[in-house]
Amino acid sequence: MSSITDSKTTSKLARSPNIDVDWQGLSRNLPMFLLVVGVIWFLISFFPMQKALTTDYMVSSVTDVGNFLLGLVAFFAIIEIVLYIVLVRILQWRYALAYMLLAPGAIGLATLFVYPFIYNIAIAFSNRSLQHFLPGAYDYSLDYGITNFTSVFTGNVLHDTGFWEVFFRTWVWTIINVTFHVLGGLGLALLLNRRLAFKGVYRTILVLPWAIPQVIAALALRGEFHYQYGFVNNMLVGIGLPRVEWLNEPIPAFIAATISNIWLGIPFMMVIILGGLQSIAAEYYEAAEIDGASGWQQFRSITWPLLQPVVAPATVLGTIWTFNAFNVIYLITQGGPAEKTDILVTALFKAAFEFYRYGQGAAFAIVIFFVLFSVSAVYIRMTGALKAVTE
Amino acid sequence: MKKLLMLAALIAIAAVVVACAPATTNPPAASSSSSVASSVAPTAVPAKAVKLTIWCKEGGVDLDWVKATAKTFESKNPGVTVEVINKNVEDLRNDFQTAALAGTGPDLLWTVNDHIGVFATAKLIAAAEDVMGKDYFSKFVKPGNDAALFQGKLWGVPISAGNHLMLLYNKNLIKTAPQDTDEMIKMAKDFQTANPGKWGLVFNETEPFWVAPWIGGFGGWPLDDTKIPAVATLGTKANADTMNFLASLRNTEKIIPLEADYDGADGLFKDGKAAMIINGDWSIGGYTTVTATKTIDLGVARIPKVKATGNWPSPMTAGVYFLFPASTKGDKLDAAKAFVNYFVSKDVQIDFVKKLTRLPALTDAGNDPVVTGSAILKGSFDQMSVGKPMPVVPEMRCAWDSWKPNYQEVLTAKQTGDQAAAKAQAAAVDCISKLK
Repeated sequence: MSSITDSKTTSKLARSPNIDVDWQGLSRNLPMFLLVVGVIWFLISFFPMQKALTTDYMVSSVTDVGNFLLGLVAFFAIIEIVLYIVLVRILQWRYALAYMLLAPGAIGLATLFVYPFIYNIAIAFSNRSLQHFLPGAYDYSLDYGITNFTSVFTGNVLHDTGFWEVFFRTWVWTIINVTFHVLGGLGLALLLNRRLAFKGVYRTILVLPWAIPQVIAALALRGEFHYQYGFVNNMLVGIGLPRVEWLNEPIPAFIAATISNIWLGIPFMMVIILGGLQSIAAEYYEAAEIDGASGWQQFRSITWPLLQPVVAPATVLGTIWTFNAFNVIYLITQGGPAEKTDILVTALFKAAFEFYRYGQGAAFAIVIFFVLFSVSAVYIRMTGALKAVTE
Repeated sequence: MKKLLMLAALIAIAAVVVACAPATTNPPAASSSSSVASSVAPTAVPAKAVKLTIWCKEGGVDLDWVKATAKTFESKNPGVTVEVINKNVEDLRNDFQTAALAGTGPDLLWTVNDHIGVFATAKLIAAAEDVMGKDYFSKFVKPGNDAALFQGKLWGVPISAGNHLMLLYNKNLIKTAPQDTDEMIKMAKDFQTANPGKWGLVFNETEPFWVAPWIGGFGGWPLDDTKIPAVATLGTKANADTMNFLASLRNTEKIIPLEADYDGADGLFKDGKAAMIINGDWSIGGYTTVTATKTIDLGVARIPKVKATGNWPSPMTAGVYFLFPASTKGDKLDAAKAFVNYFVSKDVQIDFVKKLTRLPALTDAGNDPVVTGSAILKGSFDQMSVGKPMPVVPEMRCAWDSWKPNYQEVLTAKQTGDQAAAKAQAAAVDCISKLK
C-alpha cells in the first residue's frame, strides 16, 4: 500500500512531518561564529579612525535593529503557530507543511511587492502632487488616470524630453550593454575554462567589478571621465588622441555611462557562463575532435547550444536589470547633459521626486512595468523557459 | 517538528514580553543651567525620557560642531537624547517627504530655507511662528527672518543668516581680490601664465545656484515671486547675457576648468591649484581648518562687479533654519523647542561664529566683537549686503530644473544664451503649470 495515498499515514505526515535540525552541527559552528564576530568587533574598536563607531553606537544600532528583528521573528512565529493549529490539527490537510513553509515568503512578497504595486496603480488614478500630498488631500478618479496615462505618452516626462525619445534611448542602452555583457562574459569564460596558471587569481580579479558596491564603482568611474584629471583622457592623450568632454557632451556622456555599465556587468555573465561551460561533458568535445571538428565548429555545434539553458535566462535577467539600471546613469551623468542620457527609470525618478508629478510618475511606472513584462513574456514563450514548470 | 514549534512559541512569547516591557523612566529633567545665556526663552523640557532625531544638512567639520554642541545640550537636559543625522540638501528634501508619509520622519530639521516652500505646500511642516510665537522672532536679523517668509508666515527659526555665495581667494596665490570682471579675468590669466596647470577661478559649474549672482549683476532675476503663482523670468536678455558671460570664461578667456562640479572646485582650491573660488559661507569652515591653512590664507570679498552693467552680482541670500515637522508633538515638540532655544542662544551663536565662521542669525551675536572684528565675517557680511533673498516658493524648483540643462548647453557651446534663455523660460512655465 502506498504510504502517500493511505489516509492514516497522510494524516500522520500532516501532523508530524519529518524534519531534523542538525543541533550538533549548529553547536559545533557557534563558537567559530562568535570568535569571528569578536575579532571584527575588536578590530573595529581598535582602529582610531573608527572613532564614530563606538561601543555605545554599536549597541544602540544593534538594539534598534534587534528590536525590529525580534518583532519580525515573533510575528512569523505566531503565524506559523496559527497555521499549524488550523491546517494540521484542525483540517489535517496534506499540504499543510508546504503552506507553512511558504507563508513567510508569501507575506513578505505581499507586503513588499503586491501592496506597493496596487498602491502605485491607485496613485496613477489620482491627482496627487505637491499641493495634494498627504492622505486626504488628493482624490481618485478615472479621469485623473486617463489624464496621467495620456500625459506620459503625449507630454514631456522630463522638462524638455518626451516619452518616446527616452524609450528609444533606453532600448539602445539596453541592447548595447547586454550585447557586450554576453560577448565579454562569454569570451572571458572561454579563456578561464581551460588549464591556466594562476586561474584563481585571474578569476578573482575579473569578479572584482561585481564585488565592489555599485555606488562606489560608479562614483569612482565618474571621476575617471573627468576632462582634465580623469584616467581615460590622460590615457587618450598618452596615445596621441585629443581629450574628450565625456560628461559635457551628450554622446560621449552616453558612451561613458555605457562603458561603465559594461565594466560592471561583464563579471556576472562571466560567472554564469563559466558555470555553464563547466557543466558541458568533455565527451562531446572528445567525440568532436575524433571527427575532426575545428574549434569554431565545436563552439557552434556543442558549446553554444549547450550553453543556451544558462545564457537565455541570464540574458533575460541582464536585460531587465540593464533596462532598470538607475545607479549608473544617475551617479555618473545624472541624466545629463540636458537630459540626453536619461533612461526611463531615471526620468521616472525625476518626474516623481524632483518635479513632484506623483500621479504621472505612478502612471509612468506602470507603463515601464508593462514594457518589461511584455518583453519577458514574449521571450519566455519563444524559448519555452518555463516549460518544465508547467509540464 | 514539535520541537521547532515549541521553540517558535517560546521566541514569540519572549519577544512580546520584551517589546511590551515599560520603558525605564528617568528623573525629571533639570531646568536650564546658569551657563546658558539669558537670551534663552524659558521653554519646558519634557519630564520623561525623550529621543530627538534631527536631520542636519551640515557636513564635515560643521557637523562635528553640531554634534558636540548637541552633546552639551544633552548634559544640560538629562532625559533628552539627541541623534543628529547628516543628510545633504537634496537627500534631506527627498527623504523627508518620503519619511513624512510613512510617519517615520525626524523630529526637527536643520536645513536651508528653499525647502520651506516645498514642505509648507505639502503641509509637512508647521509654521515656526505658530510653534514659538511671533514675538520670538524679534531677536533675529531681518535678512534671517525675511528668507523664512512664505505665504505671510515665518516657517523657520534662523540659525545663520546668509548661506550666500561670495568670492573666496587664496592670499598665498593672489594678494588682493578683483573689483570688477575685467580685472578678475586679467588677474586670473596672469596667475595661470605664471602657474601653468593651475586655475585662476573655479566654481561649481553644474548648478544654476552659481549662475544666480551673475544674473543679478546683469540686471535680471530667475523668478518673480511677488505674484501668485510665481512667474518665471528666465527668458530675458539678462539671463542670456549671464550665460554667455560664463561660457566666455570657460571657452574664450579659459580661466575656469572645462569641467568642475562642487567637489572638484573645492578640491582644486584646497589643494592650492586655484587662486579664487566662488563658494558659499558654509565652506569657510573647511578652508580655515588647521590642515587647510597650510595651503590657504583665506580672503573674502564680493563677487566682482559686472563691468558691462556696473552692477554688483547679487547672490541669493538665505540662511540655515530649524523647521518643525508637523508630526512632532507633545514631549518631542517640547524637547525640540528647548533644543532650538539652546542653539539660538547668544553663547552658542558666538561659538557657532567662532567655529564655523558664519554670520549668526541672532542680532545680539551679530553685534559682538567676535563678528565685527573678523575680516572674513566682514567680507561675508559685505557680500550679503548686496544679495537678494532666495525665493522659497515651490515654483523656484521649476526655475532651477529648467535653467540647469540649458545653462550647461551654453557652457558647452551647444546653444547660444538667447536660445537657452527662451528654452529655459518655456520649460519653467510648463513645469509651474503642472505643479497644481
